[in-house]
Amino acid sequence: MFEARTRSQRIVIQIVVTLMALPFLVPLVVMVRGSLAGRGFGNYVKVFETGVLGTYLLNSVIVSVSAILIVYACTMLAAFGFSKLRIAGKELWFWALLLALTMPEAVLLTPLFVTASTFDMYNQLIAVILPIAALQIPFATLLARNFFDGIPNELMEAARVDGAGIWQVFRRIILPLTKPIAAAIVVLTLISAWNAYLLPLLMLNSPDRQVLTLLPTFFISQYTNDQTGVLAAAVIAALPMVIAYLSLQKYFERGLAAGALK
Amino acid sequence: MRSDSAVDAPRETTGGPTRTSAQRRRGGTLKHVASGYPWILPAMIVVAGLIYFSIGYTGFVSTQKWNGFILTPSEWIGAGNFATLAGDPMFRRALANTAVFYVVTFTVQTAIGFVFAALMHSSVKLRGLYKVIVFVPTVLAPATMAPVFRTMFANNGEVNTFLSSIGLDGLTHTWLSDPGTALGVVMAATIWQWTGLTFILFYAAMSQIEPEMLEAARMDGAGNVRTLFLIVWPSCRGTTFALATLGLIGALKTFDWPYLISPSGLGGATQFLGTYIYQTMMQEKNFGYAATISVALLVLAVTCGVAMSVRNRREGKS
Repeated sequence: MFEARTRSQRIVIQIVVTLMALPFLVPLVVMVRGSLAGRGFGNYVKVFETGVLGTYLLNSVIVSVSAILIVYACTMLAAFGFSKLRIAGKELWFWALLLALTMPEAVLLTPLFVTASTFDMYNQLIAVILPIAALQIPFATLLARNFFDGIPNELMEAARVDGAGIWQVFRRIILPLTKPIAAAIVVLTLISAWNAYLLPLLMLNSPDRQVLTLLPTFFISQYTNDQTGVLAAAVIAALPMVIAYLSLQKYFERGLAAGALK
Repeated sequence: MRSDSAVDAPRETTGGPTRTSAQRRRGGTLKHVASGYPWILPAMIVVAGLIYFSIGYTGFVSTQKWNGFILTPSEWIGAGNFATLAGDPMFRRALANTAVFYVVTFTVQTAIGFVFAALMHSSVKLRGLYKVIVFVPTVLAPATMAPVFRTMFANNGEVNTFLSSIGLDGLTHTWLSDPGTALGVVMAATIWQWTGLTFILFYAAMSQIEPEMLEAARMDGAGNVRTLFLIVWPSCRGTTFALATLGLIGALKTFDWPYLISPSGLGGATQFLGTYIYQTMMQEKNFGYAATISVALLVLAVTCGVAMSVRNRREGKS
């Protein structure tokens, strides 16, 4: 966008870009440096010694994978139904789904808390998985339906003439074409499930039922004022997501961009 | 990228010559197309069972006086909670904080994201590295990063140390415990997290601008800054509106950052609707009133969402 004719102009642009990007790096540097201050790797040892790390990590994986599976299944089926099949009052149903899109999770707090206590689901991972999935489905369905609308009907009709059932058409012909949007949906759900804090905070009370986002808080409750240890806990909690992003960069960027622009 | 189906749909049902062609395009010949109900059923059950149930239940509890214990009966007080809400200074404080938060975070993110995207479209080296640095925060949980921000803005933290080291001792501050600056830390953390997304979206929008348009502007003697404001900025309008919508709904939903950076709330200085609901429910055990605030939040979020998306669509068409 900027035209840089001379070498000095190019250098100026490079410096400005660097100065703008640096502040974004600072918290990460502070985190890593702080986590190694004092006892060095001893801080990490201390986090491991709490003995909950494995459980929290496993719980985070269970929550994320389950939420992704539920959202993927519900969304793909619903988007196909909305886009390609016959439904009376189709747009009415679709709008009913979209209305749930702006739902702030704070509104779910009272009902979910009371329901979970009533049905003995308090402290169960399912009490976190289902709300996370439910909050993600409306938006994911909107994304997927727009994508499905772009798939020509002739593809399906040709297969149906050949005698394939509707499930076969969906499974064999449509699903393989939907990989780009499926990737976006998986990434969006992964970020929202892995990073979820409010719902686990409310629903998961017992120390062996918590998830990775609660690790720094748990650590603070165990060792008050151990700043460096808390930062080590933060590094450990951040690492899986950083690795996931760096190895799947393109999908993360596209997924989040698709999510933002609907 | 935009939800064209949702826009087209109501027009289809109004009939007219476009109807048949639109149906042929989307639904195929309706005669031998299977029923879609079983397909949308799982999604509808999950959404209705959790979200619509929650809305209904919240609506019910908002008319009650109740401490949340299942064994304690609740008491019907009608619109009593709403009357309290209308005169509640803390509720107004939360709304005011949300408004300030929205205006500041949206403006700063848009400014940085837009300029950064424009610069990255110029001849810059190490583009991939810069992109990763700016984008990584969007995938990290506030719960993970909040301890880092608390460390940085602590009295003996990096921010104060940095200010002293460049001779600005006068600017060092008790950032987290001063009601005047705690909201600023919350906003800084939010801006840190979301500018990467703003940048990616502007970057993508700028790739769509035809080089001929930029060439023409330059031929007419427009400099870099003029081109940026007169050609590039208007071309990105759709993106700006989408980000404005997203930011508004995000501001209303804010919970993690203020709750984690300023757990005490400093007497309302970092109160948001989400934190107020949580506090009313979990600390004050006033479930009825928490539900009332929830209803207000829901009405605001849905209204803003609908209003902004209607406006977006009008913008998109014109």
